[in-house]
Amino acid sequence: MDSIKSTLNGFVRYRLNTGNLSFVMHRLTGLGTLLFLTIHILDTSTVYFFPSLYAHAIDIYRATPFMLLEIVLVFAVIYHGINGARIAIFDLFAPAGWRAGMEARTAIISLTAAIILWLPAAYLMGRSMLIHNFGF
Amino acid sequence: MTSRSSQVQIKPNYEQVAWKWMRYSGLLLIPLAWFHVLIQDVLVGVHQIDLDYVAMRWASLAWRVYDFLLLAFAFAHGVNGLRQVIHDYVPKEETMRKISWWLFGFWLVISTIGAIALIGGGRQP
Repeated sequence: MDSIKSTLNGFVRYRLNTGNLSFVMHRLTGLGTLLFLTIHILDTSTVYFFPSLYAHAIDIYRATPFMLLEIVLVFAVIYHGINGARIAIFDLFAPAGWRAGMEARTAIISLTAAIILWLPAAYLMGRSMLIHNFGF
Repeated sequence: MTSRSSQVQIKPNYEQVAWKWMRYSGLLLIPLAWFHVLIQDVLVGVHQIDLDYVAMRWASLAWRVYDFLLLAFAFAHGVNGLRQVIHDYVPKEETMRKISWWLFGFWLVISTIGAIALIGGGRQP
């Protein structure tokens, strides 16, 4: 508990820079995706265990709040992938990437690339939501 | 004459293996998870997905193998990531060991449920 408190304390006082911004975003997008993944494995498993429940599970995903969360989820998966590739490539093959300037620059590039890839996906999913849930 | 030469060769410990594994599995998950999300969430969409759609997908062995890889790599990557995050907030190794076993059980139970469903395939209500 104390360590969580001191983390939050430090987080408030710490000047947010690109390094800890991508650190926090990487963790949040990862944990969020894991939460969804856990639920998703269980709901998909009803196809075998309780096939009559599957339609009900899918109905929940079709509701507007969940479709909005789905759009957020897609951003999380894209960002976590791009930023994770940056971490993996630097750690495994190109440690020079962790030099301060390079680290900051690539952190911004990761975020920008994730947003650019996410926008068309968000558009298609948002359009599908308007068509199916709001009769556009 | 020293007998300490054996200390030069250090067997990588669990955390070092896990650290490496997170990076390699992460790279593999980029195509696996992205194509899954692109097809199911973006192109097909949750309004076209129902029991028949899943049955149709799982009629193909290739998609079942794909889903199995996704289940195996994504969930293990995620739970190990959760373990690494928790580790940062739990300084006591004894407590951490207990949490790790709980997480391992959590991973095993959910993965087994998913694997049984994947092998069993779709059924009609």
